[in-house]
Amino acid sequence: MSELIKMKDVTKVYPLGETEVHALRGVNVSIKKGEFISIIGPSGSGKSTLMHIIGCLDVATSGSYFLRGKDVNKMDGNQLADIRKEFIGFIFQDFYLLPDVSAWYNVSLPMIYNRVAPKERKEKAVRILESVGLGDRVDHLPNQLSGGERQRVAIARALANEPEIIIADEPTGNLDSVRGEEILEILSDLHEKGKTIIIVSHEKYVAERGKRKIYLKDGRVEGKG
Amino acid sequence: MFRSFLFEILRSAVESIKANKLRSLLTTLGIVIGVTTVIGVMSVISGFRKYIATSFSQLGANVIYVSKHPWFANVSRKEWLEILKRKDIGIKEYQALKEYGTTFKYISPLDRINLEIRRGEKEASDVTVHGVYEDFSRILNQGVELGRFLSKDDIKYKRHVCVLGQDVVNSLFPEENPIGNKLKIQGRQYQVIGILEERGEMMGNSMDNVVMIPFTTMTEFTGRNKTINVVVYAEDKEKATEEIRWILRGVRNLKPGEEDDFSLNSSEALIKQFNQLTGTFLLISIAIAGISLVVGGIGIMNIMLVSVSERTREIGVRKAIGAKSGEILGQFLMESVVICLVGGFFGIFLGASLTKIISIVSHGNVPFNIPIWSIFLGFGFCCGIGVFFGYYPARKASKLSPVEALRYE
Repeated sequence: MSELIKMKDVTKVYPLGETEVHALRGVNVSIKKGEFISIIGPSGSGKSTLMHIIGCLDVATSGSYFLRGKDVNKMDGNQLADIRKEFIGFIFQDFYLLPDVSAWYNVSLPMIYNRVAPKERKEKAVRILESVGLGDRVDHLPNQLSGGERQRVAIARALANEPEIIIADEPTGNLDSVRGEEILEILSDLHEKGKTIIIVSHEKYVAERGKRKIYLKDGRVEGKG
Repeated sequence: MFRSFLFEILRSAVESIKANKLRSLLTTLGIVIGVTTVIGVMSVISGFRKYIATSFSQLGANVIYVSKHPWFANVSRKEWLEILKRKDIGIKEYQALKEYGTTFKYISPLDRINLEIRRGEKEASDVTVHGVYEDFSRILNQGVELGRFLSKDDIKYKRHVCVLGQDVVNSLFPEENPIGNKLKIQGRQYQVIGILEERGEMMGNSMDNVVMIPFTTMTEFTGRNKTINVVVYAEDKEKATEEIRWILRGVRNLKPGEEDDFSLNSSEALIKQFNQLTGTFLLISIAIAGISLVVGGIGIMNIMLVSVSERTREIGVRKAIGAKSGEILGQFLMESVVICLVGGFFGIFLGASLTKIISIVSHGNVPFNIPIWSIFLGFGFCCGIGVFFGYYPARKASKLSPVEALRYE
């Protein structure tokens, strides 16, 4: 399998008042296409920072990061936005849906930035919502949906531009275990269909889903398995 | 596809405004007031100008009124007192102009006095009696509808004949032909020889409540032939003006270097003067409206800053799913422009309503007349304000780092 992500000696330093916070202290990670990875570690271990860098939301302070063979560290804001748009779908713990618009419109949002024609946008959004079991909820507003449903809308949104990589940051953190399982099922399904899945979590049962685990502690990779 | 993107940011702007109706409404208030002022003032002034122009055109475009003072003077009190001290214009000036003038076609002295006119039990009050020569009807380009106008002989022999305006006909001869009938002016009998064509109104006053009699006959009861006007019809007004000045300066013994002690008035000059005056008023109003638009713009900037900080999370999400800085900038700029345009729309609507009300209250004297360009100007200004004052907040939004925006609580 081809190498999708290759990170070498990645560090991330944040200024915090007078001092600096070393969130990552030299991380080496490589992920192949189609893998199902769990990034786990206690809070403050740097897993969110790592996720942000993998997801091109942030750039490393030093080290190298190649995504599909391209040097992400050399990209400017717009190029990073293009990468996120085309190759990465995000799922957040708090869903982060726009509250004033319907489920289908939330799902169609990434397609707007991908310049998909309006009619096609809606059709596709509805199709994806059906695939996550929300065929009868397309016109509902987020506050008319349950937590599990909202997270499924968020997954649908992450899938809108057919990205290669899905990055899920504590996707079950705000759900009860039954709903959480449902979400993890969907993610497993997506993995079966060939997507590269990266889950960030501190919960063991979530992390167990990953075919490979990356343990982070104090900004370093402690172990893999 | 860019058009569809524009449509999306427009849609998102409208959604966000709809979600905060009251706030958006309050925000646009400054813009509304500004645009209302601009549209209202421009419409009223433009309507008024049109009205003045139409009114004064009654005086005739090719007519020069030689008078002691200007009709309209933008001068100090002291200067005006000087003007009042001028020598009167009299029949002497008329005779000189008649004798030496070559550049104008028709000329007549003109004296006016408002009198009551009787015919038996009937009376017409406040009728403007004109004492004129035979050319006067051609000078005003006002013919007779029935009968004839005053003739050379009427003037020469000081005949007691008169030509009536429509209003006088209506009050004194409601149901008969007035020609040949008699009426009384200042106790003396006059025979009606003609009826003037209708002229309508000027500045809200009927121009048809008139009687015209020979100037020579009129001097019998007024006793004056020195405090009059001379009216001239000239194809080439500029040339005629020069000649008239030259003749009058001679007759009135003005030395070189001395200022003219008479005024040549025309409808054109009057309209020009009037436009100058209203122009100043217009500028002041636009300045006031400008201030209110700037205040409105600052309000919009303030609200947009609030909106950006309220929606930091949303900006983070949009960036995470691939929005570029420029696209976020566009979204927020569009929002502030749409708010401004909504304000502009209400402003134009209110301004137009205001003009309509003024037009109704003034009984159509100030016509309802909204210049199309003022609407475009209004909308253009709103767009400008939206972009100018929306830029800083929008740029702030676009510069947010996605990670920080997502973390924002």
